[in-house]
Amino acid sequence: MKILMALIKKEFLQIIRDPSSIIIAFVLPLLSILIYMYGVNLDSVKVTLGIKNDDPNSEISTLVKSFGHSKYVNSIVFNNEKELTEAITRSKIKGAVIIPNDFSTKLSRGQSGDLLIITDGSEVNTANYVQSYSTSIANGWLNTSKFRRLANPVVVNPELRIWYNQDLNSHYFILPGSISVTMTLIGILLTALVVAREWERGTMEALLSTQVRKIDIVLGKYIPYFTLGMISMMFNVFLCVGVFKVPFRGNFLVLFSVSALFLFTLLGVGLTISSKLKNQFLASQVSLGIGFLPALLLSGLMFPINSMPKFFQILTMILPPRYFITFIESEFMAGGVNSIRLINAFFLTILGLFLFALVYKSTDMRLKN
Amino acid sequence: MIEYFRRILALIKKEFITIWKDPKSRGIIIAMPLLQLFVFANAITMEVKNIDVALIDRSNSVESRELISRFEHSPRFRKFSYVADEKEFKEKIDNQKVQIGIYINNDFASSVKSKKTVNVLVVADGRQTNSAAIAGGYAMQIINSYNSEITGVQGTSINPVIRNWFNPNLEYRWYILTVIIAMLALVITLLLTALSIAREREMGTFDQLIVSPLSSFEILLGKTIPPLIIALVLTLIMTLIVITCFKVPFAGSIWLFLLAVFVSLLSIVGVGLFISSISKTQQQAILGVITFQMPAVLLSGFISPIEDMPLFWQYLTWINPVRFFMVLTRGIFLKGMGFQDVFVNLIPLIIIAIITLSLAGWTFKRKLD
Amino acid sequence: MNTVTITNLTKTFNNLTAINNLSLDIEKGKITGLIGADGAGKTTLIRLIIGLLLPDSGNVEVLGLNPFTQKPELVSKIGYMPQKFGLYEDLTVIENLKLYADLKNQPYDFDKMLEFTSLEPFQDRLAGALSGGMKQKLGLACTLLGTPEFLLLDEPSVGVDPISRRDLMKMVREMISPETTVLWSTAYLDEAHSFDTAVVLDKGKVIYNGKPHDLASTPQEFEEKVIELMGGYKNEPSKIAENYTYNKTFNFDPSPQPSPTRGEGENSSISLPNSPQKGKDVITCTVEADKLEKKYGNFYAVKNNSFCINRGEIFGLLGPNGAGKSTSFKMMCGLTKPTSGTARIMGIDILKNPAKARSNLGYMAQKFSLYGQLTVRQNLQFFAAAYGIGLLDRKKRVDEIIEVFDFQDVQNQKSEDLPLGFKQRLSLACALIHNPPILFLDEPTSGVDVIARREFWNHITSLAKKGVTILVTTHFMDEAEFCDRISLFYKGEAIAVGTPDELKRQAALLNPSPKSSPAREEEGLPTMEDTFITLIKESEE
Repeated sequence: MKILMALIKKEFLQIIRDPSSIIIAFVLPLLSILIYMYGVNLDSVKVTLGIKNDDPNSEISTLVKSFGHSKYVNSIVFNNEKELTEAITRSKIKGAVIIPNDFSTKLSRGQSGDLLIITDGSEVNTANYVQSYSTSIANGWLNTSKFRRLANPVVVNPELRIWYNQDLNSHYFILPGSISVTMTLIGILLTALVVAREWERGTMEALLSTQVRKIDIVLGKYIPYFTLGMISMMFNVFLCVGVFKVPFRGNFLVLFSVSALFLFTLLGVGLTISSKLKNQFLASQVSLGIGFLPALLLSGLMFPINSMPKFFQILTMILPPRYFITFIESEFMAGGVNSIRLINAFFLTILGLFLFALVYKSTDMRLKN
Repeated sequence: MIEYFRRILALIKKEFITIWKDPKSRGIIIAMPLLQLFVFANAITMEVKNIDVALIDRSNSVESRELISRFEHSPRFRKFSYVADEKEFKEKIDNQKVQIGIYINNDFASSVKSKKTVNVLVVADGRQTNSAAIAGGYAMQIINSYNSEITGVQGTSINPVIRNWFNPNLEYRWYILTVIIAMLALVITLLLTALSIAREREMGTFDQLIVSPLSSFEILLGKTIPPLIIALVLTLIMTLIVITCFKVPFAGSIWLFLLAVFVSLLSIVGVGLFISSISKTQQQAILGVITFQMPAVLLSGFISPIEDMPLFWQYLTWINPVRFFMVLTRGIFLKGMGFQDVFVNLIPLIIIAIITLSLAGWTFKRKLD
Repeated sequence: MNTVTITNLTKTFNNLTAINNLSLDIEKGKITGLIGADGAGKTTLIRLIIGLLLPDSGNVEVLGLNPFTQKPELVSKIGYMPQKFGLYEDLTVIENLKLYADLKNQPYDFDKMLEFTSLEPFQDRLAGALSGGMKQKLGLACTLLGTPEFLLLDEPSVGVDPISRRDLMKMVREMISPETTVLWSTAYLDEAHSFDTAVVLDKGKVIYNGKPHDLASTPQEFEEKVIELMGGYKNEPSKIAENYTYNKTFNFDPSPQPSPTRGEGENSSISLPNSPQKGKDVITCTVEADKLEKKYGNFYAVKNNSFCINRGEIFGLLGPNGAGKSTSFKMMCGLTKPTSGTARIMGIDILKNPAKARSNLGYMAQKFSLYGQLTVRQNLQFFAAAYGIGLLDRKKRVDEIIEVFDFQDVQNQKSEDLPLGFKQRLSLACALIHNPPILFLDEPTSGVDVIARREFWNHITSLAKKGVTILVTTHFMDEAEFCDRISLFYKGEAIAVGTPDELKRQAALLNPSPKSSPAREEEGLPTMEDTFITLIKESEE
C-alpha cells in the first residue's frame, strides 16, 4: 500500500512538472467544445441556391421571392442557363431551382406543375437539404398563392414530434456527444506514452529491482490518470452545462459514475498500447492513428450505427465511446432512463475489466533482452 | 550541384530506412489507413436504415392498416411492434427499443372516408437528433404520398423533378470516400512527420546533423521528401481502391488530381514538420498533432458546411489545409474540376506549405540555444 | 559463506551467446569487481543475478533464494543500480529519495545521505538539472537506501570526474556494513584493483577470479595483467592513421609531417601553407576560441575562455562534471550560440559560415548519437554522404573504414544493438569518414573497456602525428597524459592551461607532499589525478 501511494505520488509530481498533461486535460476540452459549439452545425444549414424563372406569369415571381425570404436559403437569380451550370460546377451555389415556362399554366389548370430541382451530388448532405428545402418552400408558396383553391385538401396530415429535442437544436446533442470523443482522445493520450517512457528512460529497470509488485505498477498508472481524467471530465461537463447552457435532465451522480467507467476503459486502451509497445514512437503512431477518426465517425455521434451493415455494427461494439455516447445523450436529453444507463454501464464495465486484465498481463516484470 | 543532390539523397535514404526498417512501424503506416478506409467506406452512411417502429393503431381499420402497410413495404423500416397504451409507447422510445413511434387515432377511418383532415402523430427519438429528423422525414413522406393517393391525382400540386448532378442517386459512399481519402492522408502524413524531428532531438542525432556541413535547407528537404513520397503512394493506393473496389467514378483529370494531392500533402508535411520542430519531446509532438488534427477535421467542411459557420470561424478555415484538400479531391474526383478552379484552391495550400516549411527550417537554426 | 552461487549459467539473445556456461561464487561481505571487455556479458550477468532476465539454462542462488522464482523476496534484500539509473529527471533530488525510500519501505532519513553526496544544497533541484557526477551520486544514494544485504552496481562511475569518483567509492565503503556483499562492475582498473576480489569476464565466461593483489601490486601493473588476460594489446601502428589522407579541399600540405608541437611545449606555432581561398592569410590556430562566454541568466556557464590550438595538437579539456566543458565544446562546434566571443575553425567563424567551417570538422558526441535503426554500414554511408563524399569514393571509403575499424562482422547489424565499445568506435569512424583536419571528441571513451581505450588513443595520437588537430574531453586521468596541452576547467573558467607536466609541477608547488598517491612518477611529480584534485581544491580556496 505504501509502495502504491509512493508511485501515485511520483506520477502526480510528473504530471505537475510536465505541462503537456495539463494541456491535454484542460485545453483540449475547451478547444473542442468551442469548435463543436461554433464550428459544427447540423440543423439549420443554410444553402445557397440559384433560381431561374422561365415563367413570365407575375404570380410566379412571388415564388422566386419566397425563396429569397426563407431563412434557410440564400438565393441568387440567374437568367442564363450556362452561367447557372457553371456556378454549380464551381461550387458557387449548392443547387438550383428552375421554373419551367408552363408552370403557372399547369397550376392554373389544376394540374401538377413540374419544378426542376438540381443539386450538387458531390456533397450528398447538402444535396438532401437542397431537395427538401426547395420542395417545402414551393409547397408552402402553393398553399398561400392564388392556386391554392385548386389544390387538394390534406386529409392525412403527418404531425412530427421530435421528443427530447423538439427544436432540433443540434448543439443539444452534439455538445454532450463531443465530450465522448474528447474524452477518448484525452484518456488515450494521457496514458499511451507513460509506460513506454519508463522503459525508454531506464526508470522501469530500477523500479523492477525494488519490491514493487505488478499490481502496484498497474494501479500506480491507473489511479493518477484516472483522477486527472475525472477532473477533466467535470470540466467538460461544466463547460457544456454551465457555460454553454446545454439543458441537463439527468442525474449528475449517475453521469459521473458512468463517466468513471468510461474513463477506466479508455485508460486501459492507452496503457495497453504503452505496455505492449514499450516504445514512445510506436505508441504515438498507434494512438494518433486510432485515437480520433474512429471515435468521431464510428461511435454513432455523426453517423447512425443502426444503419451500418451487421458486421460493422458488431465491430463498433469494441469502441468504448459508442456506449458512452448513447448514455450521455440520453442522460442529458431524456433524463434517467434506467435500462439505457444499465446496459451501457454494463458493456463499459466488461470492456474496462478486459482491458485492465490485458494491461496487467502486458506489464512485464522482467526484461525481454 | 551533383554533390548537393547526393547529400539530399543520402538524407532521404536514411529517413526511408528509419521509417521502413521497423516492421511494427511499417505495419502501422500501411495497414492502418487501408483498414480504416475499408471500415469507414462500409460503415458510414447518412441514410437511416433498419428503423424500428412502435405503433398504436386505435383506429384498427382497413384504412389504418393500409397506411401501416406502406411503412411495412418501405425498405427503411424494419420491425413493427404494436403497443397497447401510451405508457408502453413511451417506454419503447425511452429505452431506444424503437426509433420512431406512430400513433393513429380512432377517428382515422371515419375522417379518411369523409375527407376530413386527421392528424397522424409521428414521434422520433431526438437524442439522436440527426437521424431522428431524417427518419421522421421518411415517415412524413410515406404519409404524404398516402395522402395524395387517397385524395386522387387531380388538383394543383407541385411535382419536384430532381436532378442530382455528379452523383445521380446521391450515393453517400461516393461522397464519404472522396472525403475519407483526404482524412486518412492527413492522419498518415502527420504521423510520419510530427515525430521525425522531435525524435531525433530526443535521441541526440539532430545535433549530429547540425554539426555536419548540411545546411538547414538540405536537412529540411531530407525531412520533407520521404514522408511526402510515402503519403503520396498511400493516397494513390487508396484512390485506386476507391475507384476499383468501391466503383466510384473518377470524373476529372488524373494529372490535376496528382498535382492537387501533391500540393495538399506538401502543406500537411509542412504543418507536421513545423509541429515537430517546435517540440522538445515526442510527447509534446503528439499533443501538437492532436491539437491541430481535431480542429482541422472538424472545420474542414466535412462535418458541417463552412458557409454555415460564424464569420470568424470561416476565416479560421483559411489556414486549414484539409479544407482545400477535401474540396480538391471531391471536386476533381466527382465533378471533374478544371484547371482554373483547381488552381484557385492550390494557392492557399502553397502559401501554407511555404510558411510552415520555412518556419520549420528556421527553427533548426534558432534552436541552437 | 557465499552470497551468490552460479552454476552452468547460459543466456543467449538471438543466436548471440552473452553468458556461456558460467559458474561463479561471490563471497559474502566482500567487494567484488566485475571487469571485462565490452560485450563480455557483465550487464547480462548482473541482470540474471537479480532475476531481471531469465536464463536459458543453469542455476543461480542469491542469498539462499532463486532469483527466477523468488524475485519478490529477493529484491527486498538487494540494492541494484543499473547503468542507466532510473532517476526521474522531472522529480527533484528529495522527491527521488523519498520515492525510493517508500518503494523500499524505509523512513525518510536522508541527512547522512545528503551530507555524503553533498547534495544538501540541491535538494529541490530537478534531478535532470544535476551534473553527471551528482546524478550518479543521487542514484547511488537511492540504491543504498535501506542498507541492502547485497549491492549490485553496474558501472556507476561512467562519465564521472575523478573527484566524484572518489566520493562514490567513499560512499559505498562507508555506508555499508561489514556483512554487505558488493558486486561492482567497472571500466576503471584502479578502482577494481582496490577491491577484495576481481572477476574478469570474457565472452560470457569467467577467465579470472581472485584477489587483485595476487595478480599485481600496483594499479598500473594490474591494468597490464588484466589486458593480458583479456587477450593482450599489441601496440600496432594505427591503420586508421595510416589510411588518413588530407582531403585536398582543406588546403593542407598533403605530405604527412610529425606534429611540431609534440614535446616542444605550446609556444611553437606553425604556419600553414597558404590557402587558395583565403589568399595570403596564414592560419595560426586551426581551432581558436576568442573570449568565449556563455551566460544563462546571471549564471556564467563559461567565462572568458580563450585558447588557440595548433595543427596536430591534442588539446584536452578537463574538469569536474558541470564545470562548463560541454558548453565550451558545443560553442566550438556551433551547437550553442555564445553570449559573446567567437569560435573559429580553420580561421572560419563557425556562426558566420557554418557549413564551410563544419566541413573541416569531425564530431563525436558524448552520448551515442548515431541512427540506431540504421546498420553500421548504413550509418557510415550516410555520414559519408552528409560530408559530401562523392558516390564512387563513398563506397571505397566506407569499405576502407569498415576494414580499418574491424567492422566486417557487425557491418549489417543495427547500430543500437551493438555493445557500447563498438558504438564508440562507430562514432569515431563516422567522425573520421571524411578525413577531417580537426576532430572534436566529447568524452569519447566513457564506458569503454581498457583495451578499446588503448586502441582508441593509439589512433588518436597517430592521427595527431599526421597533423590532425584534436580537441578532447575526458575523465580518465591516464588519458589526460596523452594530451599535448590541457585546459583545466572549473566553474566555467579555465583555471590552468599547460602541458601535463607543467600542470603537475604547478600542483607540486601548491601541495609539496600530495597525500598517499599510489604511484609517483620518477621525478617525484604527483599523478595526474592528484594534480587534478589539488588544482581544483586550490581554486576553490
